[in-house]
Amino acid sequence: MATTSPTETEFGEVSRIKGIVFKYVSFVASIVGILALGALLAYVFWDALGLESAGTGWYLAYTGTLLVPLLAFFAYARTRPAVVAGAFELFSMTLAGVLLTGAGVIILSIIASPEVWFAYFLTVVGPIVGLYVYGQYDRKATWVGLAMLGVLLLGPVVGTLGLGVLTTIGALLGSPGVYFLSLVVPAAAVAAYLSTERLDFSRRRSLGIGVGLPVLAIAAVPLVDTVPAISRSVWLIGLVLFGLPVGFTVANTARTRDRWPAFAFPAILVLGFLAGEAVVTTIGATAPTPWLDWQYVTSGPSQTAAEAGLYPAIIGSIFLIVLVSVFTFVFGVGAAIYLEEYAPGSGPLAAITRIIKVNISNLAGVPSVVYGLLGLGIFVNIESQLGPFTYAGFGVGTVLTAAMTLSLLILPIVIISAQEAIRSVPDSLRQASYGMGATRWQTIRNVVLPRSLPGILTGTILALGRAIGETAPLIMIGAATTKFSPPSGLFGKLTAMPMQIFAWAFEPSDEFRYGVVAAGVVTLLIVMLTMNSVAILVRNKYQQEAN
Amino acid sequence: MTSQDMASDTDVETDDDSLVTTDPGKGGLDENGERGSVGQTSAGTVIESRDLDVFYGETQALQNIDLAIPENQVTAMIGPSGCGKSTFLRCINRMNDLIDIARVEGELTFKGKNVYDTDVDPVALRRRIGMVFQHPNPFPKSIYDNVAYGLRIQDKTDNIDEVVEQSLKKAALWDEVKDRLDESALDLSGGQQQRLCIARAIAVDPEVVLMDEPASALDPIATSQIEDLIEDLATEYTVVIVTHNMQQAARISDKTAVFLTGGELVEFDDTDKIFENPDSQRVEDYITGKFG
Repeated sequence: MATTSPTETEFGEVSRIKGIVFKYVSFVASIVGILALGALLAYVFWDALGLESAGTGWYLAYTGTLLVPLLAFFAYARTRPAVVAGAFELFSMTLAGVLLTGAGVIILSIIASPEVWFAYFLTVVGPIVGLYVYGQYDRKATWVGLAMLGVLLLGPVVGTLGLGVLTTIGALLGSPGVYFLSLVVPAAAVAAYLSTERLDFSRRRSLGIGVGLPVLAIAAVPLVDTVPAISRSVWLIGLVLFGLPVGFTVANTARTRDRWPAFAFPAILVLGFLAGEAVVTTIGATAPTPWLDWQYVTSGPSQTAAEAGLYPAIIGSIFLIVLVSVFTFVFGVGAAIYLEEYAPGSGPLAAITRIIKVNISNLAGVPSVVYGLLGLGIFVNIESQLGPFTYAGFGVGTVLTAAMTLSLLILPIVIISAQEAIRSVPDSLRQASYGMGATRWQTIRNVVLPRSLPGILTGTILALGRAIGETAPLIMIGAATTKFSPPSGLFGKLTAMPMQIFAWAFEPSDEFRYGVVAAGVVTLLIVMLTMNSVAILVRNKYQQEAN
Repeated sequence: MTSQDMASDTDVETDDDSLVTTDPGKGGLDENGERGSVGQTSAGTVIESRDLDVFYGETQALQNIDLAIPENQVTAMIGPSGCGKSTFLRCINRMNDLIDIARVEGELTFKGKNVYDTDVDPVALRRRIGMVFQHPNPFPKSIYDNVAYGLRIQDKTDNIDEVVEQSLKKAALWDEVKDRLDESALDLSGGQQQRLCIARAIAVDPEVVLMDEPASALDPIATSQIEDLIEDLATEYTVVIVTHNMQQAARISDKTAVFLTGGELVEFDDTDKIFENPDSQRVEDYITGKFG
């Protein structure tokens, strides 16, 4: 020991071979999955958009008008986080607006007819919103909460009893009149309020916005009438559900000076497409023949590949998204809050809680086909008599059956991720709240939920993504593979995008297998990505507030 | 506004309207007899414990604690880690209820009412007994909303602006934050956050403020600001403070309780007496650093 020189034995290089090998194995493992998926997606997009038939001129035109400006914009924005955030907000809010409008049209004019919506607007939605606003205005009025609960319970009863009279009034107004009164007018008030409170507009300007919105809604009607695809009702719903959030985002982005370059992003997209189109027509380049085009998303399935469309399945899937998100959010978050905040930690109930918790994790791993079987059992096949009420399920392959089955499927995932999010709220904050004399509910409402909402939303949206891509449970409950019209209501039969894609995959012709199916997959992916970007948007908003 | 001598030594309060008047001296009877001399001044007693035992599962955290905390004074609790001083503090406003395995036996009265009676709502109790924690724990909200939190949840929504300002002034924080009330409380420094937590606790005008090592996570300057503040608070509130720092207890408290390992209260008396001439040899050893 003493004789050897210390530099050789003690400070020589320590072997790191294991670590280095491990590092590269992990790197390869992570890259393989991404590359495989990337290659598949590239393939699918290539087929769906029919890019192989496009001429060189087309590629050059769009590279010049769209790709190069976009790359330039990304290079410019790379070091400017405010621009990136602004561009992302504009982009995803636009997508969100489209999705909201779609959902709005489906809920307000397909699920509930305008007249029925009018009846329940007058008896339920309107009073609740009114009470909420009054409660914000006069914070001391403690009866407001109770009154809201009362309206929530009694309103539907009154609405149902008075349905005849109220729908007659609604019918007299006509559907545009109904939407004008129930959506545009409240939205104008909201817009005026937001523009003073959030955007710091002057009183006069926000008043102008409040008055301008209804005026615009009416004034643009002659113009809207010239576009056959957009009915007056759709215009009014879109104005509120698309125009309001997008307009707010635009105004909010315009407010901060270093976010202004963000507007270049949508401008490049729109102008780039227009310019590209112009160049292509002038030089007469061969354009691609995409399978995914306007005809594809607006028409029903067909035996000829060129005429096949996904419209009924898209509407069916949106139906499912809306219903499943409502069910899972209410039950999933409710269950997670109970398990994390209310469930006792000791005593006989604690054992039950523990069993429930463990089994929720197990349920998350149950294959989807088993949930399909469960749905078939409890929503389709069971018939039972409870006194005067007969429960006979919700029908084979109906919207409600499908939505409830898919909700069951993703509930465990939603509950687990919500539990995780709630658990991540630091205990010191709960203690602070309890120490101030807050009740459990006040603590949950004011401290736990705001802080855990980003996590809850992320988990919910990811789970929803899984739900709309599921096929097996839908097959089990007898959903149609091919349907020629969108579902008529909650008890109407439906097909969903993955079902339709699945059916097309068995068509013998290559056109179906490589073109139509690819277009379907891309549509499904676009809907899912839209949902995810909405989720990220909402999460960012709450994270900003939390920090 | 750091008038540090305003409230320090001679805070001989007159007995007012109070409370149970069981002689706090009787606390010395049971057990080893060593404990003895529960202090007595002219101030009224706000909080009094008799034979208080606390268990966490099978472990006993506090044994037969008899203690009488005088009104509008600063009572310090010192002792080595794990001696149960924080546990005692958290018994006062029933924060231990939040720990499933915690079990309390014996009696702890606040203004003569046993807080562990079945008809006492811990939420109502905590509205009268505020608490400041070891680590600053402001809510991830604006400075204003933090202070207004208690007012809102307790429906004390008259003049919120005014009360927020007054509380921040009392917590000696107003001058530093008055121009940025709607900025996030998390942007404040640690010392400012802790003063914010104190402002938040006193905004709802509690009768007692419990502080669990409020300065232990802070640097010396922030610590001295908090100490000044505590002395000021004692003019209006009864303050009970747990601390590891014996100098701090000597500087700011009127009464000191010494807890030693095993959850026993060894001695409780005027701070001067504890630090100059304690009855118990163990306390003397602890204070002089022979035993920790």
